[in-house]
Amino acid sequence: MTQTPKVSITEDQRDCYQEISNVAMGQAADLLARLLDVKVILPIPVVNLIEVNELRMALSGIENSETVSGVCQGFIGNGISGEALLIFNDTSFNDISDLLKYGGAADKSLELELLMDVANILIGACLRGIGEQLDVGFSQGHPVVLGQHVNLNDLVAANNYRWTKTLAIEINYKIEGYNINCDLLLLFAEDAIEVLNRKVNYLLED
Amino acid sequence: MSIPVLICDDSSFARKQMARALPDGWDVEISFACNGEEAIQAIKEGKGEIVFLDLTMPVLDGFGTLAQIKQQDLNAMVIVVSGDIQPEAHAEVMGLGAMEFIKKPASKDKVLEVLKRFGVI
Repeated sequence: MTQTPKVSITEDQRDCYQEISNVAMGQAADLLARLLDVKVILPIPVVNLIEVNELRMALSGIENSETVSGVCQGFIGNGISGEALLIFNDTSFNDISDLLKYGGAADKSLELELLMDVANILIGACLRGIGEQLDVGFSQGHPVVLGQHVNLNDLVAANNYRWTKTLAIEINYKIEGYNINCDLLLLFAEDAIEVLNRKVNYLLED
Repeated sequence: MSIPVLICDDSSFARKQMARALPDGWDVEISFACNGEEAIQAIKEGKGEIVFLDLTMPVLDGFGTLAQIKQQDLNAMVIVVSGDIQPEAHAEVMGLGAMEFIKKPASKDKVLEVLKRFGVI
């Protein structure tokens, strides 16, 4: 019987992932800030090795009481695969619609368009930023809608993962002066973690 | 005499990365700080004539650190090194008295260029 080796990350590796995410999320935020002509408030990214069934806990930036809408997008590059989730609290859409000068409240199809637009920008830029630092070229799949105006637990449950463990990077973006709150979650597949750890070790070497 | 250089960042990887980006052969005495509060303390102890300062940090962030340096009239040349590359963040730190803004990860060439421009090296 073969045993799957236990994946883990050291404190130094976690710190390194956090710093890499920090740089990448800054690049993504800059694009969003330019698109919406706003100031994006940057958080400290949260990096954790979690069980996939603990995913809900990793989404700490969103309250349980809020209804949300979200998309997911798979990515792969150099043997590293994973999935990005972008989740908005539903109250965000009116402000985004205003900022993009669509005028009036957003209907469901306009919301979907906004969701896709922002997802493309944020997910693309974050992956590019991480890829540049780790010397990996990621390609992205098509974005898939996980749900609109649903409960967060239902949204997370809508997605099935083939992994049990995942390296989760959570970035919670807020926009100064507006009621816009979104969580970007990058989930790296279980079998990608070892490859990632090796890349990070290389950066940590003297 | 060696120049006291302070690197302030909450990430140990980022501190290391910054130290590596310093010019080769530059005669410096490097100290490290994990947040703004530690940085202020180190500057008061004369350990930060030149400070490489991150913005997003717990306890006291980079913006707060710059404000403190100004308020307490501390003698330090601050170069902000940050992943927050929004034009507003850049303008804000310059307004708070930073000498220059370098985007993360800082490259050796960029650091050298900035230090030369300010006649430090």
